[in-house]
Amino acid sequence: MPDVLISRPALAGQPVFQSDKVSVEAMAEGHLLQVMGATAMQALQSLAADAGITETRVWPAGYQQWFMAGERTLTSANLEAFTRQLAPGVFVSDQSHGRVRIRVQGPCAAVLISRGTAVDLDGTSFAEGHGAMTLFGHISVHVARTGAENFQLTVLRSFAQSLYEELVELAKAL
Amino acid sequence: MSSHRLSTGGRIDRARTIKFSFDGKALTGHPGDTLASALLANGIQLVGRSFKYHRPRGILTAGAAEPNALVTVGTGGRTEANTRATMIELHDGLTARSQNRWPSLNFDIGAVNGLLSPFLSAGFYYKTFMWPAGFWEKVYEPLIRKAAGLGKASYEADPDSYEKCWAHCDLLVIGSGPAGLAAALTAGRAGARVLLADEGFALGGTLLTDGDERLGAMLSELEALPNVQCLPRTTVIGWYDDNVFGAVERVQKHVAEPDPHKPVERLWRIIAKQAILASGAEERPLVFGGNDIPGVMMAGAVRSYLNRQAVAPGKRTVVFATNDAGYRTAADLEAAGLEVAAIIDPRARSDAAWQGKAKVLSNACIVDAAGSKALRGVTISSASGTQTMDADAIAMSGGWSPIIHLACHRGAKPAWSEAHAAFLAPERQEGLTIAGSAAGLASTEACLGDGAQKAAEALETIGFARVEPAFAAADSVPPAATPFWFAKGSKGKAFVDYQNDVNLKDLGLAVREGYGDVELAKRYTTNGMATDQGKLSNINAIGILAEARGVSPAAVGTTTFRPFYTPVSFGALTGASRGKHFQPVRRSPLHDWARKNGATFVETGLWYRAAWFPRAGETTWRESVDREVLNIRQNAGLCDVSTLGKIEIFGKDAAAFLDRVYCNGFAKLPVGKARYGIMLREDGMIYDDGTTSRFSEDHFFMTTTTALAAGVLTHLEFCAQTLWPELEVYFASSTDQWAQMAVAGPKSRAILSEIVDEDISDAAFPFMSARTVSLLGGKLEGRLFRISFSGELAYELGVPAGYGESVADAIMQAGEKHGICAYGAEALGVLRIEKGHVTHAEINGTVTPGDLGFGRMVSTTKPDFIGKVMLAREGMQAPDRPCLVGVKPLDPGSSFRTGSHILADGAAATLENDQGYVTSSCFSPHLGHTIGLALVKNGPERIGEKVMIWNGLRNEFTDGVICSPVFIDPENEKLHA
Amino acid sequence: MASLITCPHCGQRPKEEFTIKGDASITRPAPDAGADVWYDYVYLRNNPKGLHKEYWHHSSGCRRWLIVERDTVTHKVLSVADAALTKLGGAA
Repeated sequence: MPDVLISRPALAGQPVFQSDKVSVEAMAEGHLLQVMGATAMQALQSLAADAGITETRVWPAGYQQWFMAGERTLTSANLEAFTRQLAPGVFVSDQSHGRVRIRVQGPCAAVLISRGTAVDLDGTSFAEGHGAMTLFGHISVHVARTGAENFQLTVLRSFAQSLYEELVELAKAL
Repeated sequence: MSSHRLSTGGRIDRARTIKFSFDGKALTGHPGDTLASALLANGIQLVGRSFKYHRPRGILTAGAAEPNALVTVGTGGRTEANTRATMIELHDGLTARSQNRWPSLNFDIGAVNGLLSPFLSAGFYYKTFMWPAGFWEKVYEPLIRKAAGLGKASYEADPDSYEKCWAHCDLLVIGSGPAGLAAALTAGRAGARVLLADEGFALGGTLLTDGDERLGAMLSELEALPNVQCLPRTTVIGWYDDNVFGAVERVQKHVAEPDPHKPVERLWRIIAKQAILASGAEERPLVFGGNDIPGVMMAGAVRSYLNRQAVAPGKRTVVFATNDAGYRTAADLEAAGLEVAAIIDPRARSDAAWQGKAKVLSNACIVDAAGSKALRGVTISSASGTQTMDADAIAMSGGWSPIIHLACHRGAKPAWSEAHAAFLAPERQEGLTIAGSAAGLASTEACLGDGAQKAAEALETIGFARVEPAFAAADSVPPAATPFWFAKGSKGKAFVDYQNDVNLKDLGLAVREGYGDVELAKRYTTNGMATDQGKLSNINAIGILAEARGVSPAAVGTTTFRPFYTPVSFGALTGASRGKHFQPVRRSPLHDWARKNGATFVETGLWYRAAWFPRAGETTWRESVDREVLNIRQNAGLCDVSTLGKIEIFGKDAAAFLDRVYCNGFAKLPVGKARYGIMLREDGMIYDDGTTSRFSEDHFFMTTTTALAAGVLTHLEFCAQTLWPELEVYFASSTDQWAQMAVAGPKSRAILSEIVDEDISDAAFPFMSARTVSLLGGKLEGRLFRISFSGELAYELGVPAGYGESVADAIMQAGEKHGICAYGAEALGVLRIEKGHVTHAEINGTVTPGDLGFGRMVSTTKPDFIGKVMLAREGMQAPDRPCLVGVKPLDPGSSFRTGSHILADGAAATLENDQGYVTSSCFSPHLGHTIGLALVKNGPERIGEKVMIWNGLRNEFTDGVICSPVFIDPENEKLHA
Repeated sequence: MASLITCPHCGQRPKEEFTIKGDASITRPAPDAGADVWYDYVYLRNNPKGLHKEYWHHSSGCRRWLIVERDTVTHKVLSVADAALTKLGGAA
């Protein structure tokens, strides 16, 4: 039997784009959990910690929906514990392989993302910690602000390459 | 220095020379020139031929309304026809060509149409080309299209790129003249997010022409404000619901070689809390004989070329004006040392305090202009009789029409104002305020004040406290407005619509023939059509129709203003969505696995799926597919089925919910089991099918067809949220989470036993088992399902997507000694047809479960499920409904196609005799002949019946036999092995 | 048609993010409601001039079904509410 069992990132081989205006880069595929149900961001953070899920960040993703993402990969024990912690009434779906994160940062990061999404990314209305499910061109994405000039786009894995190529082309045009 | 360029003045950079060409002739200009101003500077007035009569035409305006100076610019794929020379910023290497002339602009054979003009009047096409009817398409239309027309589009692909963007602002200011600049400054100083868009390459509007010295300071202040973004070269094209504006920015239309990484145009969608429309006013042409001879120009345009580009359109100009604007032009001409032959004013006395040298003729008008390719002189009619005068230019001004197009895009109707002798739009609409001369104001001071006041007012409505206007309000005296619709007694053609060659007489004819309504007159005469949509002509046409009908222009009204304000390129509307980026591509996690195994891909919606895996020596797709199918029935195969829709369903009421959306029962499905389910639409027809498995009491996993993955999720959400919101149920799409592999064939268990740690013998893991399993010695967890689409012993294994390729490699390696092969969607299709399994070829929106032989699956005990009531209707149970059967050729050597119809043996090939049709067909390598699935009336009762299979499109007839739809292993022995 | 819909969960979004299903004022009948009532529910729709309540799905956002009340003449949106929460008598 093959000894080598590797997880191949969806954006493996996609070069980092870097200019003085913006950089576009695939993020490590660690964990990404979709949580559904009547709970709150803070509760999620602490319940996750109880299940051994640390170094994770919770993002609002719609009514009674959250994404929890970080660079650590999780074990099935982590997930089972978290599932138990959340019960009853709150559910988690492991999307660690289903959604891919792309980091977009730099002075023109917001301009770049505005090429595709109608969400107003102005710092006063879309401050750090804000997240929104929206469209980027024809592709559904979750846009989150991780800093003044830093964003994270979360996209379904099958669309990741298309989105990445589109972002890089738009970045070159800035 | 060319003869028409003045030695001083203007906003051009004389230190730099720009080389361009017109009709192949090398010419030069300067930065700051438009193509029009550069042509004029080179003494070129004749720039085009008119649409219908091929009359020589010159440059009429200096802006967006230009109807005459339409040229083709660029070469190859960058060819752009019908662009306005007045809007093209001159740049190095610009090549422009005149249009609608043959063999040359100077000598155009089409001009013979002018002699035929008595026959080419309004309604000419309707009257002349009536008969014989068959001639229209074959003879008349091609001839007319050849004779009349504008420029020609290129057949080459556009090499440039385009993009779109979104923007948000507190205040969008449209137009950067005095009102717009004052509005932007007011809002900018108040800290509002401001976008200032102007279609010109330089901001300032009429302040540029006026040489107003305040302009520089205003622009510098705006530039320095971080909350203000100025967008020159940007035309706002539409005002849409909820205050969304469309705009096109010409990013690189003014450069010789566009940077290939940057777009040439960018389409903006601007979400504005408030907007100020400061689009200014359009000067009206005057309607007199020969008013289209090159050399006749708008007075404002003459002044603009003089002051902005230091170009003198004529050496000896006659000013013909109904208002003070003409006097400003005359004054500027004289100040530049040019001769003004006379000022012709139809008013009784001019109220401008004219101080210049030129004589003023009051109560007078130009009735005719003389000349052909260039103006020679004018005939003036006044109380003292007629006189002629030599002139090489006419500067005309018939008053001003506020540019209210955008303000009427959402249904507002323009209203005639007697005081302004113009149509005005409602000044204040929700989210949009009209300011400056677009609101009917005249003086610069009044416009500055108005823009500032209205910006302050607009911001206060969105919560800004006490905004200080940047300029004080100034009284505005409305321009003394005396409409002058046309000169009486003209001998020559007096044009109303230059672009469509509509003249005064055409409009009179339209009224006489009963087409006096403004919308009818437009269609009858073509006045106000084509690229300029009547920007100059509509108002005069309305005035002329009003006079002919003996009513006020208010009673005539305007045609409807619709987006776009000016023509927009398809490129801008398309943005980046072209070629490879026409639509996103979805890649399966096993895409690279399939590629390295030699797959040929096929587009399936947005997905690329492996269709078959050709091997060396195979020359046709059928060879590959036949081999794959036979190998699976004999050994085993691995197929990527990741594109099937996958939905995780959670909640304490998940089971109850599934019972309501499937027509068969799911509430009692045990944990660890999968079940085939059929989902109906509310009308009782089948919507989709798939398997759903239960992983725990409150966690199910549903699969859908590839085509309806998104639709089913939306349907489930609709049911859960709007029909039964009291149920606790949540959905998460996990299509992208799993690399899903179908391993099918008699050797599949042996192969998977090397991958899966648990016991998967038939006893331990019987048909329809579904469980989380440990893989490769505990290295990974996956989901294993014992389900089969092929009818063989088969499994589906799902692993986290990133591991897909590795696990697929491992299965192929383990399967090597068992003869495993990779197989694609085509073989999958053959296998399922051989087994009589249905897809959306059969689930075509008109079939019930009973039609497909699933009648007994439908629950009779559930109180309700989607589609239950309507499925019980009489017609849905009718015995003669088309039902699923198999069909095969009588002679195994013959064949038939999908879509062919079934006829009773001996029946004539008519629609009345139609018994059904072939929904799927393929060559069965197992049976050695073509097989098909078909929906046939009373189908199951007709098994064994000889029929005719008829393809009416190709006139093919095949003798066939109706048979069971299950061609392979009807006892399911392979399945349960 | 509106250009922007203010989703109660996500804020102001362009119409491209939504999918419209149609009349939100109709109620799914009980199984025994009778053939006429079911026929109306499945096949017949009004096409009102003026105010209209419709189901809009925020398909590229939070994936919630909303009830949008809008004027089919002026295109003005009067209210947007979460369908499930409205039916359960809740807010939003």
